[in-house]
Amino acid sequence: MSKRKMFFKMITASLVRRRSRMLVALLAIAVGATILSGLVTIYIDVPRQMGAEMRNYGANMIFMASSNEAVFDRAAVEKGAALIPPDQVVGVSPYRYETVRIHEQPVVAAGTDIEQVRTTSPYWMIEGDWPSVTGDMLVGQDVAESLGLGVGDTVNVMSSDDSKEKDSEDLLNLGVDMKITGLLDTGGSEENYVYIAMEDLEGLVGPGELDVAELSISATADELSKYVDTIDAEVEEVTPRLVKRVTESESTVLTKLQALVFLVTAVVLVLTMICVATTMAAVVAERRKEIGLRKALGASDSSIIREFMGEGLLLGLVGGIVGAILGFLFAQFVSVRVFASSITFQPLMLPVTIIVSILITGAACLFPVRNATKIDPALVLKGE
Amino acid sequence: MSLLELKNISKIYGELKALDNINLSVDNGEWVAIMGPSGSGKSTMMNIIGCMDKPSMGEVLLDGVDIARESAKNLTAIRRDKIGLIFQQFHLVNYLTAVENVMVAQYYHSIPDEKEAMEALERVGLAERARHLPSQLSGGEQQRVCIARALINHPEIVLADEPTGNLDEANENIVLDLFHQLHEEHTTLIVVTHDPEVAEVAQRTITLDHGRIKSDLINENFGK
Repeated sequence: MSKRKMFFKMITASLVRRRSRMLVALLAIAVGATILSGLVTIYIDVPRQMGAEMRNYGANMIFMASSNEAVFDRAAVEKGAALIPPDQVVGVSPYRYETVRIHEQPVVAAGTDIEQVRTTSPYWMIEGDWPSVTGDMLVGQDVAESLGLGVGDTVNVMSSDDSKEKDSEDLLNLGVDMKITGLLDTGGSEENYVYIAMEDLEGLVGPGELDVAELSISATADELSKYVDTIDAEVEEVTPRLVKRVTESESTVLTKLQALVFLVTAVVLVLTMICVATTMAAVVAERRKEIGLRKALGASDSSIIREFMGEGLLLGLVGGIVGAILGFLFAQFVSVRVFASSITFQPLMLPVTIIVSILITGAACLFPVRNATKIDPALVLKGE
Repeated sequence: MSLLELKNISKIYGELKALDNINLSVDNGEWVAIMGPSGSGKSTMMNIIGCMDKPSMGEVLLDGVDIARESAKNLTAIRRDKIGLIFQQFHLVNYLTAVENVMVAQYYHSIPDEKEAMEALERVGLAERARHLPSQLSGGEQQRVCIARALINHPEIVLADEPTGNLDEANENIVLDLFHQLHEEHTTLIVVTHDPEVAEVAQRTITLDHGRIKSDLINENFGK
């Protein structure tokens, strides 16, 4: 048998046949590695998770007309949105605002893509239902109150453009009947408008250009800034702007969350190190006679260090593997509970967790192992 | 020819003289018993002969080399190469099997050889128990593993500290028979014991008292 084989036999036998003692150390390392792996996985994945979570607070980018134009067309919006990776685009809502008449009163109607609005403004509280077909209408709470409208009412909507009235078909002059499917409650200026499908608005006032487009993008603050610069440079018709209220709060929350994760990870690593060092110190104290015996049999200090460090590093390896696996499951659990979505597996976390576990265990073993070399071999002759 | 020579050895701890001007010579192949009451200096002498301690004064010549002047590192090497140790409490590594315990001594000395370790166990009558852990062996069996381990590297001196102190009579006889065999093979044996029966079977008995040699007697009945 080679010396190396005997070395591995001794350190594995020490761990396997002295299970109860070593399990404590293994448990400490595995728990530390689990939390390290889990928190770092969350740390890496949290910007994506937060991005998705923050999409609930509405659009984070808007397209406005460039300074020398008042409006822009849908093609410009599509061109701008195409510069953002498709998997990051949650929704794009074009808006065209026109004044219409309901019950002879002027009201601003927003023509849009209702399905897209549901993704860019998921926080909108709707009493009733979202419009689902053309002819349906969503009415802001303020408009509904001032005009005495309610869910289920059918109202006649007319264009308010006098000149158009004169030149257009009779159908336009008569307006169209639209059904109110829901009332919009946001607590903001959105309650001053009615929302209808773009086709309905075009039917009322004729084809036209867009005033604004809202985009909801699942990206970090840095990525968003980069997209703004690219779109600004490449799409002349629109001027992209970030909704700072959303992007800044996202970035603030993210920074705080990451700092918290970093702090917890550091504390856990220090605690793991203390626990492993204490266990190894207990192991060395418990095995004083064995160390004395080994020295009496002719083991050099370096042999003793190699054997105990070998045991420690093997513990670190096993604890690291167990921790890396459990850490992913832990991160998955936290992610599902907190963000309601599964986490992305980070393949790099496996070797990183194992290497960090080995290094932490190695560092924790240094002091106790150094003490082991000071044990007097004469101990075994004293018949204690 | 003397294998081991202690010249004017003293070991002083503060005001206490654990060994006081000891002069002793042990020939190659000799079987020496060292007796004496507690505190007589037996352990101190064992530690010095076993290269685990150094005298305060004097010379310890082992195979012509003064081990009193060697560095700790060299003493470890001398202990590994020239000395076989047998302990009262056996001191087997409790998570290694009998054969692995024997191989530990080979591991520190040279290259572990399982076949050779098995032969050593066979010699002490434990071949069938080679794969057992110390906790699965009786006291006598553990002591025999300890003897196999002490002999595996063919040491020049076998140093035994109360080797039968924890054994019943039957096992004591087995161990003494093994010592007889070793002596016949010209192994130098130094046995520290309280037991007069163990001392009686040795070739020579040295009695210590208060750190001095009280008597140094040749056993006239030895071998009869």
